Amino acid sequence: MSTENRPVLEVTDLEVHYGLRSKRHRALSGVSLSVVPGEIIGIIGETGSGKSTLARAVLGLVKASHGRIVVDGEDVTGYSGRRWRGLRRRGVVQYVFQDPLRSLDPDLTVAQSLAEPLAVHGVTGAAAHATIRQYLARVRLGEELLSRLPGELTGGQRQRVAVARALVSEPKLIFLDEPVSALDSANRVQVLEILKSLRSTGAALVFISHDLGSVAGVADRIAVLYQGELVEVGPAAEIINAPRHDYTRLLVRSAPTLHSSAADRAERDALRAALHG
Amino acid sequence: MVRRVLSLTSGRIAVIILGVIVLLAVFGPLISPQDSLAGSADTLAAPSWAHWLGTDYLGRDVFSRLLDGSGVSVAGSVQVALIALVAGGIPGILSVYLGRVFEWAALRLVDTLIALPFLLFAVAVVALLGNGISQAMLVVGVLVAPLYFRVARAATLQVAHSQYVEAAIISGVSLAGIVRRHVWAKVLPPLAVALAQTIGTGFIIVSSLTFLGIGVQPPAPTWGGLLATDLGYLSYQWYAPIVPAALIMATVWASNLLADAIRDVSGVNGRALLDDRTIRRRSAAAEGSIR
Amino acid sequence: MTSESVLTLRDVHIRDRVTGRDVVRGVDLDVGPGRSIGIVGESGSGKTLTCRAALGILPRRFTVADGTIELLGRDIAGLTDSQWTELRGSAISAVFQDPASYLNPSIQVGPQIAEVIRVKLGLQRRAAKLRAIELLTAVHLRDPELVYGRYTYELSGGMLQRVLIAAAIAAQPQILIADEATTALDVTVQAEILDLLTDLRDQSGLALVVVSHDLAVVAQVCDEVLVLHDGEVVERGTTAEVLYEPRHEYTRLLIAEHEQYGLDRFREGDRVH
Repeated sequence: MSTENRPVLEVTDLEVHYGLRSKRHRALSGVSLSVVPGEIIGIIGETGSGKSTLARAVLGLVKASHGRIVVDGEDVTGYSGRRWRGLRRRGVVQYVFQDPLRSLDPDLTVAQSLAEPLAVHGVTGAAAHATIRQYLARVRLGEELLSRLPGELTGGQRQRVAVARALVSEPKLIFLDEPVSALDSANRVQVLEILKSLRSTGAALVFISHDLGSVAGVADRIAVLYQGELVEVGPAAEIINAPRHDYTRLLVRSAPTLHSSAADRAERDALRAALHG
Repeated sequence: MVRRVLSLTSGRIAVIILGVIVLLAVFGPLISPQDSLAGSADTLAAPSWAHWLGTDYLGRDVFSRLLDGSGVSVAGSVQVALIALVAGGIPGILSVYLGRVFEWAALRLVDTLIALPFLLFAVAVVALLGNGISQAMLVVGVLVAPLYFRVARAATLQVAHSQYVEAAIISGVSLAGIVRRHVWAKVLPPLAVALAQTIGTGFIIVSSLTFLGIGVQPPAPTWGGLLATDLGYLSYQWYAPIVPAALIMATVWASNLLADAIRDVSGVNGRALLDDRTIRRRSAAAEGSIR
Repeated sequence: MTSESVLTLRDVHIRDRVTGRDVVRGVDLDVGPGRSIGIVGESGSGKTLTCRAALGILPRRFTVADGTIELLGRDIAGLTDSQWTELRGSAISAVFQDPASYLNPSIQVGPQIAEVIRVKLGLQRRAAKLRAIELLTAVHLRDPELVYGRYTYELSGGMLQRVLIAAAIAAQPQILIADEATTALDVTVQAEILDLLTDLRDQSGLALVVVSHDLAVVAQVCDEVLVLHDGEVVERGTTAEVLYEPRHEYTRLLIAEHEQYGLDRFREGDRVH
C-alpha cells in the first residue's frame, strides 16, 4: 500500500536558470510539487511563466541549478546524459506535445511511430504489433490507420496517435502540453475522456496549459505558476471557487465562460491594476 | 526505396542509363578493339569501318580510347562523390549531434577548405602524394566536401530541432536510432541531388586537371581528356567532341534524374506520388471495365 | 432595420470553384452600429470564408455563388477595386489570428499605423504620428510613445494584436471583423483584448463581428450568436437564447463541452440545469 502512494514525482525547491553571465535569468524559483500515482494535476501558467521549463527539467532536457527532482523514487537531479537515457529507456516518463502535426515524424506511418518507443524496450515484431493494436484501440482508433502518415489523419486522430505513442511504454508519469487546445469541441471531449480513463492504469497525468478552463474539468489538483514561482496549489474546485492569489483570481475571471457577468469585468480591471501596479 | 524508385519511369530510365555506363566502365577496357595508345600515320581520320569514330591527332582510334577511358572516368567520379560523402556528408550530420567542440572544429575546417585556392591545393597534394588519378580525385573530393557538409548539416538541423526528435529522445531512443529513423530520410534527398551534381562536375574537373598534367597522365585516355583534346582540333573534326560530350551528359543527366526520383519517392512526397498513381490506375481500370 | 444596418448578408452561398461544391450555404446576417454578432464554428465550417466574402478578399478558388452582401447599404457585388480600396479601412476593417504576420518586421510598428492614417485620412506626417499615438493609447497600451518606436519582435502577441486593432480602427471604420483574433493569446491577454473590443463598441458605436471556435469567447462579447456547422447556420439567436435554449445538437455539444470540462462546471449560481 505504501509503495502505491509513493509520489511518482517529487520536486523540491527547484530553481532553473537560462542564459550565461549577464544574460542569465531565472526561469523557475522555489518550485515544490509532488504528484501521486493516478492523479491528474493541471499546471497553469502563461507565456514566460516557466511551465514548459518545469516539464523540461523533469524530463532532463534542461538542468536544474538548485533543488531536487525525484522521479519514481529515483533522485535524478544530478543525472548525466547517459543515466537519463537509462531512465527514459524504461519509459517511466512520457510527454505529449501540443501540436501533433509537428510531434509526429511526417515520413513515418502510424505503425512506425508507435513502434519506436517499443523498440527501445526491445519489443519488436509480432509482440510489438500486438501491443500497438491494443493501444490504438485504447485511444479509440481503427487499425486501418496503422499504415497512414500523419498528414493523412485529422487533427483529432493525430493527437490520439500522439497519446498512444506516449502510452505504449506504460509510463507512470505523462506530461501533456496543451493536449486539446488545437482540437475542436467534439475531438476535445473525446481526447479528454480517453485521458481521464487512464487514471485506472495508475498513471499520473500532468496537464500543462495557459487556460484554467481547459483543465478544470479533468484535473484533481491545480498548480498556478506566475513569473517562475508556484503561487498556488490546491484541489481544482478550491482554486476555481476560492482563489487566494490575485493572479489566480485574474485567471479565473479571464477564462472564457458561457455565463460571464459585468461583475467579472470590474474584477478583472481591479486585479490587472493590482498585479501590474 | 529501390523498388519505389524503379516504379517511376524517370527512375527506370536513370537506372538503365547508369547501368549501361557502369557496364562500359567495367568491360570497356576489355572490349576495346584496338590499342588505345598506339598511334598511326592516319591522323584525324574520319569515321570508317576500321575506326568507327575516326582517329585523333596522333592517329589513335577514338572508339578504343573512349572505351578504355571509361573505367578511369567513372571510377574517378564515383571516388569524388564517395570521398565528398564521407568527408562532408557524414560529418555534416554528426556536427549537429557530437557536441560543441566537434561542431566548432568541423565548421572552421569547412570554412578553411572553402577558402583554399583550388589549384594550389591540388598541386600541393600531388607534390606530397605523387601524381595519379586517385590523388587528384582525393583533392577534388575534399574540395567539394564542404558542399556536402552544408547540405547535410542544414537538413539535419531542421530535423534535430523538431518535436518528433525530442519525443524520440524522451522515449529513450539512442543517437544512432534517431539518425537512422528520423534524420536519414530527410538528409538523403538533398544529398542525392548534390551527389548527382558532383558526378557531373567530376568529369569536367578530371579533364581540367589533365590539362595541367595533374591526375591522368597524357597518353592514358579519359572522357574529359578526350573532350579537351578534341576541342583543340575543332576546325579539322567539328563532330569529334560530340560522342565524349554525349557520354558525359548522359551520365550527368541520368544522375540528376535518379536524384530527382529519390527525392520524389522518399517521405511524404513519395506517398503523395504513389497515391496519385494508384488513383489514376484505379480510375483507368474503372473506365476500362465500364467499356 | 435594414436602413440602419452596417453589414447585411442575405442567403449567401460560397462556392469552391475547383470542386463545384458550395462550402457555405445560406448565411443570413445583419449587424447594426454598436451591435456585435458572433460566428461560432470549427475549422472548415466556413466562418472565415464568410468574413472574407464580406471583406471582398475571398481566395481566387472561391466565389459568392448566390445571395447578396450589403455594406452600408451598398451591394458589394458591383464594387470596383478602387471602390473597395476606399471602403476597406474607412468602412470595414479586420484583425486576424496571427498579428505578427500582418506587420512588416523591418519597420517600427508606429510608422505603419501612421501610414494608414496618412493614406486614409490625408493627414500630414506630424499629425499622423500624433494620431497614431492617440490610437495606441486608445487600445490601452501602456507607454504608447515607446511602443510607437518598437519593432514587431520586441512586442508580445497581445501587444501586437492591440497595435493591429489600432491600425484597423485608424480610419474610423463602422464595422470591425475579429477572426480568431484572440485564439493564439494567453487567457488573461485574451480577456484584455475582448474587453477592449467591448469598450470600442460601447464608446464609438463600432459594429463587431467576432469569429471564434469557442462559444464562450463569443458569448462574452456578443449580443447575437450564429452557429455555423459544415457551411450551414444551424443555430441563431440572442446570446441568451442560444445558451439557454439551444435547439441544434451541435450547439448543445458546444455548451456541454464547457459545462463538463470547462470552468462552468464550477461556477455555481448561474448554471443551467
